[in-house]
Amino acid sequence: MNILEEIRKLVYSGDEEKALDLVQKALEQGLDPQDIMDNGLVKGIQDCGAAYECKQMWIPELMLAAEALKRCLLILKPRMAAAGAGRSAGKVVLATVQGDVHDIGLELVGVMLESAGFTVRFMGGNVPTPDVIEAVKQDKPDLLGLSTLLSNTMHVIPEILKILETEGIRDSLKVMVGGAPIRQEYCDEVGADGYAVDAVSSVLLAKKLRGLD
Amino acid sequence: MYYLYDNTNEVTPMERMMAALNGDRTDRVPCHLYPRWSSLEFLGVTFKQSWDDPDIYVKAQILAQERFQYDCVIDYDMMGPVEEAIGSPLKYPENDVPQIASPLIVTKEDMKKAKWKLDPRKNGNMPKVLYVIRRLKEELIKRGKGKQRVPIMTWGSCPSRTAACLTGFKNWFLLLAKDPDWAVELMELAFDGWLQMVIAAWEEGADCVWVNDPVSAGDCISRKHYEQLTQPYERKFIEAIRYHTGMKVIMHPCGTWLDRMDLVYQNQADGYFLGPMDIKFCVDTAVKTNEAGLSRVKCINGNVGAATKSTTDGFIPLPYATTMDKGTPDEIEEEARICIETVEGAGLRSILGPNCWETPNTPFVNRDTMVYAARKYGTFKK
Repeated sequence: MNILEEIRKLVYSGDEEKALDLVQKALEQGLDPQDIMDNGLVKGIQDCGAAYECKQMWIPELMLAAEALKRCLLILKPRMAAAGAGRSAGKVVLATVQGDVHDIGLELVGVMLESAGFTVRFMGGNVPTPDVIEAVKQDKPDLLGLSTLLSNTMHVIPEILKILETEGIRDSLKVMVGGAPIRQEYCDEVGADGYAVDAVSSVLLAKKLRGLD
Repeated sequence: MYYLYDNTNEVTPMERMMAALNGDRTDRVPCHLYPRWSSLEFLGVTFKQSWDDPDIYVKAQILAQERFQYDCVIDYDMMGPVEEAIGSPLKYPENDVPQIASPLIVTKEDMKKAKWKLDPRKNGNMPKVLYVIRRLKEELIKRGKGKQRVPIMTWGSCPSRTAACLTGFKNWFLLLAKDPDWAVELMELAFDGWLQMVIAAWEEGADCVWVNDPVSAGDCISRKHYEQLTQPYERKFIEAIRYHTGMKVIMHPCGTWLDRMDLVYQNQADGYFLGPMDIKFCVDTAVKTNEAGLSRVKCINGNVGAATKSTTDGFIPLPYATTMDKGTPDEIEEEARICIETVEGAGLRSILGPNCWETPNTPFVNRDTMVYAARKYGTFKK
């Protein structure tokens, strides 16, 4: 098994220490950091997303894999920047809307987007609407990702979109939505730019919205 | 309102609800809305207003029950008073239930910060919850002219949920994967606080209890983790409540638990308040586990918002409850019919209700429709 394949498997199994050791070893062997990222880490976390979808993996295992990925990113990112690679695919602000504390899924989206080259500001759960608007104004992101797990906070998403519209900044960014009660019909109804069913598809959607697919 | 009962032989909500929890029939299927928002919106107050003045909460519960005519009132449940008394800081939004502000326990060293031995009559806001139950009881008896005609349901948190609230959900899931022994230790320690709270609630006048676990669902942890780690504490919690209080217990497996309903039913609750899961699948599984002697399911509570045509295979993940909130009265009536006929048709008792908390701003006409549907489709032939 080649070293990238091994890294992929270690990320999948959430073996943080071994994954880190192997990433360091790969760098010492002169492998391209972007290659390690794309063909080791990202593939590993994509495998996790697929396994979660078909009920072979659950949140604890996903969290372990995400932790391993985050640790590895810490040593890869400076190398990629130094090598001139890893130019940001775009700036993303992520928030779970006010009234809903569930942000685990969104954190995974953040990790996936980061590993796909996006610069991510993860605001966490139960983010007050004014804070979301402020973050958009300050960061000027290319994408805003909004999530909710609860049906009783779904109404906050169109409220945010309306404020963006009123403030005249709606056209400066694309808005992605997701979460358990969200569906494509809802996305269309509220006028968001895209809906992603899970973390893996959120990366595809983000790339599509940025014209990078 | 209740003088009406005095001159008739009409069955009271208390008789109807308790009979269903015992597996018996009265005049019709009871209807339980888990009426937090029904009551607050009917009175036109925010949750915080009712929290700051518990008598407002009591008034809202009493008046809304008389208005909508459902069959049960509830206390301040899902509040986190025990977690707060253990040491978790809560934040109090203007119109929502209090939420955990930050995790209390992140490292093993943090365990020292927790106060595990609690007195529900002294610690934190637990006495306030007990006050509401006591006042509900007094008020219901007064309005029933000396007889309590509407039951009071209280709430308890399964140890897995309590532990997850103390550590934060993310840390909890990591803990299950990294250090299951610590997870078990936390559930052991978290067990007693809510048990004492439920016992005290019963002593103050609660008539039945529902318990829930939102962190062991099929989209959260594996069946193996559930069976080995969290389920034993659900079962222990339910059995302890029954042993100490004799109250009927409803368990709410919150979310989608389709791959483990056979295990859930072995928690030995009297009823199950179903999440957004296919009603037919859940009922068939309950009948099977009952017939095998593994469970004692008497009633199924729920689950309008889920019984749609697209879910009849029992395995398609379902959206959360939206029918009550977004659906039309006709859709609610039809889903209610499916729920009642499926449950009663299998020989279990149905308690009609939504498939999770009713959502704020649910149209009053939809709430009315559910009670209407319980009468229309749930009246038993004499």
